[in-house]
Amino acid sequence: MIFSPVAVLLLAASAVQASVLTLQSPKFVVTDALGSQLRAEPFSLVHRTGTPVKLEAKDTLKITFQVVDKEDGKGVQPHQTFIRFFDPSTGEEGIQPIRVTGGGKAKFELNPSKPPLYLPPTSTEPLKVSLIIGTPNYDPITVRLFDLILPASQPAPTHPDEASFHVRPELHHTFRPDQKLPPKAVSLFFAGLTFAPWVVLIGLWSQVTPRLTHLFSPSILPFILSLVAFESLLLTYWVKLRLGEVLLYGAGLGLVTIFTGRQALSSISSLRKD
Amino acid sequence: MPQTKQGPASTGSTALGSLWKAYSEQTPERLKFIDAFLFFLMLSGVIQFAYCVLVTTYPYNAFLSGFASTVGQFVLAASLRSQVNPQNKEEFKEVSPERAFADFALGSIVLHFFVYNFLG
Repeated sequence: MIFSPVAVLLLAASAVQASVLTLQSPKFVVTDALGSQLRAEPFSLVHRTGTPVKLEAKDTLKITFQVVDKEDGKGVQPHQTFIRFFDPSTGEEGIQPIRVTGGGKAKFELNPSKPPLYLPPTSTEPLKVSLIIGTPNYDPITVRLFDLILPASQPAPTHPDEASFHVRPELHHTFRPDQKLPPKAVSLFFAGLTFAPWVVLIGLWSQVTPRLTHLFSPSILPFILSLVAFESLLLTYWVKLRLGEVLLYGAGLGLVTIFTGRQALSSISSLRKD
Repeated sequence: MPQTKQGPASTGSTALGSLWKAYSEQTPERLKFIDAFLFFLMLSGVIQFAYCVLVTTYPYNAFLSGFASTVGQFVLAASLRSQVNPQNKEEFKEVSPERAFADFALGSIVLHFFVYNFLG
């Protein structure tokens, strides 16, 4: 807890003992590929460099400084020394620890042709470069130094499975078009044509009608009637009955037909044998 | 008496003419009755098939049931005719003409039932 009495005492104790670090001869140099200096300036902890540092693809940025105690000027090797590159538009940052010698001398080099992995991909804003130094018994330092403009990075490679994580294009199925009936005239003509054989049949039958002498005798007529009833049952089934009903009626009617048929056909066969 | 095929001369002298003459004179009335029915069924089937080929198969089930009804009925009637023919009596000793007719009736009813089922 920040406001507990023990923490307050500790803070007071550290405030009494804390010393301040500073940088001695801090400067940065931008050299191009051939080695000629493009820009060489000192930077300071109290005053930010105004113009952003622009690096081309083949240039090199070199930062050198020495960490010293402010009071006696002796070199100090801090426990932690970092340079932080922060992109405010995307919120990404990259941090590079700097190796500092025992005497406090530090050197850092950045070459965009061999970019370190921690550099975030470039956006429209320049990177804000800051220095972070921390060590016991000294006040910590977090200071923005300058802005850095790097050459544009290539777009991130897309993962081969990337497409499957987005909404796919909508599928449009094409179906076979519905089948159509032929025009009415054609249908009527062919319907009439299909009924024409009935005319032929009736004509032929009128010429060869066998003698139906026994048709209406009481032994044969029930059989004929039950056959007619069967056909009408099937016609009614086509029109309105259902399968279970027609099977039920058919079973009953079949039973009747068996008896009438047996009677009719045995009478016919006895007549024939005579 | 069948003669060799010549050019179309007087009726009855060609092979077809003499065949027709023999048929109409020697076939019993009942068989002619059944033959007329068979001819009608064949015509009906041919016309339905021609419609299917020429125009459309659109209600395909209707075509199938109509065509199958003619074909099935033709088969049943042809078997009835062969079983009832007195000249075939040696072939069908155990099947009396009445039995043949009963088979024909039963087969016809079952065929009609299936045809109505499929007709839709």
